[in-house]
Amino acid sequence: MKTMINVEHLTKQYKEVLAVDDLSFQVDEGEIVGLLGPNGSGKSTTINCMLSLLNFDRGTIKLFNKEMKPDAYDLKAKIGVIFQEVAVFEELTVYENIDYFCGLYIKDKSIRKQAVEEAIQLVGLEDYKKFYPKKLSGGLLRRLNIACGIAHRPTLIFLDEPTVAVDPQSRNHILDGIKQLRKNGATIVYTTHYMEEVEQLCDRVIILDKGKIIAMGTTDELKANTQIAEKVILEIHELDLEAIQKIKDLKNVADVRYNAPNLVVTYKTGKNNLVEMIDYLKTSPLHYTTIYSQRPTLNDVFLELTGKELRD
Amino acid sequence: MIKMHHFNYALKMLLKDKMLIFWTFAFPIILGTFFNLAFSNIENSEKLKVIPIALVQDEELKTNPIFKTAFDALSMPDSEHQLFQTHYTTEKKAKELLAEGEIIGYLQLKNQTPSLTFNTNGINETIFQFVTEEITQKSHVIHQLIEKEMSKQQTLDINPEQIYEDVLALVNEEQVMLTDISSEHLSYTQIEFYTLIAMTCLYGGTLSMIAVNRILANMSAQGKRTAISPTKKQTLLLSHLLACYLVQLLGLALLFLYTRFVLNVDYGNHIGFILLLALIGSFCGLSLGMAVGVLFKTTENVKIGILISVTMLGCFLSGMMGITMKYLVDTRLPLLNQLNPASMITDGFYSLYYYETFERYWANIFHLLLVSIVLIGVSIFCLRRQKYDCI
Repeated sequence: MKTMINVEHLTKQYKEVLAVDDLSFQVDEGEIVGLLGPNGSGKSTTINCMLSLLNFDRGTIKLFNKEMKPDAYDLKAKIGVIFQEVAVFEELTVYENIDYFCGLYIKDKSIRKQAVEEAIQLVGLEDYKKFYPKKLSGGLLRRLNIACGIAHRPTLIFLDEPTVAVDPQSRNHILDGIKQLRKNGATIVYTTHYMEEVEQLCDRVIILDKGKIIAMGTTDELKANTQIAEKVILEIHELDLEAIQKIKDLKNVADVRYNAPNLVVTYKTGKNNLVEMIDYLKTSPLHYTTIYSQRPTLNDVFLELTGKELRD
Repeated sequence: MIKMHHFNYALKMLLKDKMLIFWTFAFPIILGTFFNLAFSNIENSEKLKVIPIALVQDEELKTNPIFKTAFDALSMPDSEHQLFQTHYTTEKKAKELLAEGEIIGYLQLKNQTPSLTFNTNGINETIFQFVTEEITQKSHVIHQLIEKEMSKQQTLDINPEQIYEDVLALVNEEQVMLTDISSEHLSYTQIEFYTLIAMTCLYGGTLSMIAVNRILANMSAQGKRTAISPTKKQTLLLSHLLACYLVQLLGLALLFLYTRFVLNVDYGNHIGFILLLALIGSFCGLSLGMAVGVLFKTTENVKIGILISVTMLGCFLSGMMGITMKYLVDTRLPLLNQLNPASMITDGFYSLYYYETFERYWANIFHLLLVSIVLIGVSIFCLRRQKYDCI
């Protein structure tokens, strides 16, 4: 399998702040790799360095096995980028915007026309071709932003939080579009805050915090490495400290957190934790409305690794 | 190389930007209308007529006859070249004439340096001052030429007639003869319209600055998207600049047509030269905007502020808010106006009226082109392979 991205010892400092700290990773052809991390963790800086937009202090970056430089036009021709900010022109319609940016890559008018139509179809903007950006909703604008970045049929795509502030319908459209791009053979680097998107899309995940890689692997690998085996979640409207302490003393329980009405009981080991909890509740005066078991999520992985929630 | 795809879209974007359209098309016309209303009264009150002046007749004037000769030539009664009505009198009498309003000012030589005395400032006073400076300058040239010729002939027998003829030939070669201003139809309003054209030319810089911002990764999200594409920035920039230039010229054409046919401004017989100067001036304006866009690492609003300030200051120094300012800068700080594109444009226009030859006009054209090329060259050099420390 071909290596599409090879980053070695990438280090980038903004005055006093070490934004990216000795980052090394690879992305293979056809993969969707998620870059996961809270705000300021270095995701966007890493992408900007990879695109040769930003200077960096140390390290090497190779795309398609070639060093990425500002004048590496042959490499740039194969790359598509969707930035966090919506990068379209207010004075141009949906079709014109996509055609303008596509024209930076494809000179042939007829090929470009076809590519633009395909991009419009991919993001579901067929009914809005003649609309100006200010007439579009936030979700439609995001879709236009994506269409502008992928119309030229790139083989390596960077998506930097493309679903921020997007309605569920547009989000589904966007995620379906990304799956379609992968089906077409694209390699994708995807940064996001949303773990459910990562779990749904990504083959591998790189978790960043304070510019460092703190974990890397498939979602299953990452979850397998956590100290958490299971979480049992209950809805209980009244719970005193004594009752919480009693639950903490139960077998295999590692942690108990109560944020009325939700009680989250974390287990490090054990196979029948849910059954044992139900048995305990039968003998106690506690009244619960719902109870269910949950396998560890990427958020748990992140919490365990960094001590904070992903969206902090 | 300019690509039609980029050019077409750049043009479309410019023509759909309402703010830019206002500043490029409407603002100069509004300002022109305002000028026409404001300055037509001044025009009537300060119409160029024969200007009454006095020269203090003393020993110094006798020893430096060039002033008397020159002012006599410009004061010949009933001549179509008459610019002044000159009184030769004592200093005391000149003061009295000035106090009574019989003359607008008087000249006295002090240690062979002309000293002018006025009561007020206006276009007539400025003309008197300008002519005096020109005579002083020519007098220096002639002295230098005589010295040069004398030194050449030190080893030979001195032949005064030969020296006189040589100097005369050299003076003619200088071809810096001042034409009689009164023979041309030069008006105060016209001068203001020249500065308005200069301002419009330089305002075109706003177009190119915004075009540059659309291409720079550290200035806009669109710029980031452009920067990661395989299209060279120079190619894109040239296409956008050409579109800006076209829009700018459309604005200028509209201004010319409006001022000529609606406001009835008479641009005289040199319309071809005026248009050429406006074309080159616009080019210089675009290059100025481009340079501000590339060289200043700040927000778009601050860049617009810088550009407008530079343009307005340049126009002020070139005489937009009063012709005296141009004269003052030309005489006291000539380097400032030699570097000021607004001054080069207005000076080019003035030179069409003040001089019989086009040397000064072409010098201004050459300087404008030089400044434009330098600004564009520096901008393109800075744009090449640009990476940022922070975006």
